[in-house]
Amino acid sequence: MTRVGWRRTIAWLLIALLLWLLASALLRFFANRGPLQQVNATPAQIAQGRYLAAAADCVACHTVPGGAPFAGGVPLASPFGTIHGTNITPDAQSGIGRYTSDDFFHTLTRGEARDGHQLYPAMPYVSYKAITRADSDAIYAYLMNQPAVAQKNRRNGVHFPFNIRSGIHLWNLLFAGAEARPASQGESPAWQRGRYLVDTLGHCGECHSPRGALGQVDRKRPLAGNNELGRFAAPDITPQGLAVRGWDAATLQRYLATGIAAPAVASDEMLTVVQVSTSRLRHDDLAAMTTYLLGDKPPASKPVQLATAAATALEPGRQHYLQLCSGCHGRDGEGVPHVAVALRGNSSVRDADPHNLVVAILDGLPEHDFPGLERMQPMPGFARDLDDADVAALANWLRVRYGAQAGSVQADAVRAVRTKHHD
Amino acid sequence: MSAPAIKKRALSLQVNGKRHGPLQVPEDMMLVDVLHDYLGLTGTRLACGQGECGACTVIVDDADGSREVRSCITGAHFFQGKRIRTVEGHAQRDDSGAITALSPVQQAFLDHFSFQCGYCTPGFINAATVLLERLAKSPVAASEVEATITEALDPHLCRCTGYVRYYQAVKALVLDTPGLVRENTR
Repeated sequence: MTRVGWRRTIAWLLIALLLWLLASALLRFFANRGPLQQVNATPAQIAQGRYLAAAADCVACHTVPGGAPFAGGVPLASPFGTIHGTNITPDAQSGIGRYTSDDFFHTLTRGEARDGHQLYPAMPYVSYKAITRADSDAIYAYLMNQPAVAQKNRRNGVHFPFNIRSGIHLWNLLFAGAEARPASQGESPAWQRGRYLVDTLGHCGECHSPRGALGQVDRKRPLAGNNELGRFAAPDITPQGLAVRGWDAATLQRYLATGIAAPAVASDEMLTVVQVSTSRLRHDDLAAMTTYLLGDKPPASKPVQLATAAATALEPGRQHYLQLCSGCHGRDGEGVPHVAVALRGNSSVRDADPHNLVVAILDGLPEHDFPGLERMQPMPGFARDLDDADVAALANWLRVRYGAQAGSVQADAVRAVRTKHHD
Repeated sequence: MSAPAIKKRALSLQVNGKRHGPLQVPEDMMLVDVLHDYLGLTGTRLACGQGECGACTVIVDDADGSREVRSCITGAHFFQGKRIRTVEGHAQRDDSGAITALSPVQQAFLDHFSFQCGYCTPGFINAATVLLERLAKSPVAASEVEATITEALDPHLCRCTGYVRYYQAVKALVLDTPGLVRENTR
């Protein structure tokens, strides 16, 4: 190409860029000018919208604890930086007051805001893409009839180059369209309904499915667990993963409804999910979710086995247990109602991956308030009293005695978890 | 499933400056029971038995200074070789063991009529003592005194609701003791 040819090409590219910038500026200008929407809905429609918004777990990201409902501001940690849930009250400037039901459905299912800007996939539009139009309209009617809150959206802390939102269009092209494989086998009406509640509305896979290098959900291993998002790992909730940790339909449904079941209590982000979402669902819908999670033919749940003869090698761990744990968890792991969970057969103790068990020992847990009057007491962390070898010894005692797991936790692994905390 | 057979192990520890042991103590016994039943130190109170109320709090002294530990949920053998203080250890005594002067915290609680039934008082005394010792090493700004006291006393429960007078006693003591408070830098 000649020098003049190069200049022409660059000039055309510049003109194209300017036109594109002008077009998006105009789009934004008009998007912020559109009429405020007034949505008339019957009380039944609004109640249906409220129910579906609970099933879609909107509050967890769009309502700060103790803050105005749906006014946004909840920080979400991601490997790419911190992203904040936005204001989805009908406020004209910061919220969705100018959204039509078409705009709302488009944003929910395609991840594109009314002014044309692309949302980060922290908004689970990849999961929501299968939301029915009727359900979207019901949620829209509910949200548009909530009080408008003039609360500005918080700036996101996403690092370069992921803060270039146009890049997400490419990401969408690669990953957003793919149809997710179901996490279990089934075809009954309950299974179908459960799949919609779990995969689409509940977007469980956003945390529980492993992700690839670009943050895309691994479609081949739905709900197989993810340890990349927060301090605690989201465990494997495939039928097999649940069954080997002792879950069955009854315990799973009780867990979703109340946050407390024999194998575990809901903690960390899952406690929020139970509080603002699953505990508000009807029992038939919870049963459907359970049917989908375990499949139409659930695998037999593995009974709790206590190791009888304690090996001498585990004795130091047993002593740590008696000194620091037994006061609340019971002399032999039986737990105390409203105080501390049973460790016999506890889902995290039975997890082949000791990560969550080690995190709990090191960091402790805050007080848990469950729906209704149920609670669990705060647990102190033992990072100061136990060194890496002590924590490994304690974790191994718990895993062997109460979890039928190998006593394979090494001090190095504990150190990795301990130091990850101080990043 | 039967509970494992109770085994005893030797325990040596130092309480209020006095060495005890080796004592043969069941391996799953909590410290509060050893204080009551083996050492005759009944000033430490057992109330909730689940680490929630703070009445059973004792002080552990180690290289990092003093800290609170709940004796009802912490196994006695955790304290092997450790130095601890209980409510009996704060007052000054003469050679015969008779009390000659209360500790500043104890005296402040009396002066402010802080408690009624007194069941929570040993825990509050130990919490306030740990707080004062911490402030002596790292004083807080005058503007942070109230929040610091609230944070230190907050975990302790008092069913006679003596909270306000406990708080007032500790605040007066913190402000009147030289070296615990920095002047506001701004």
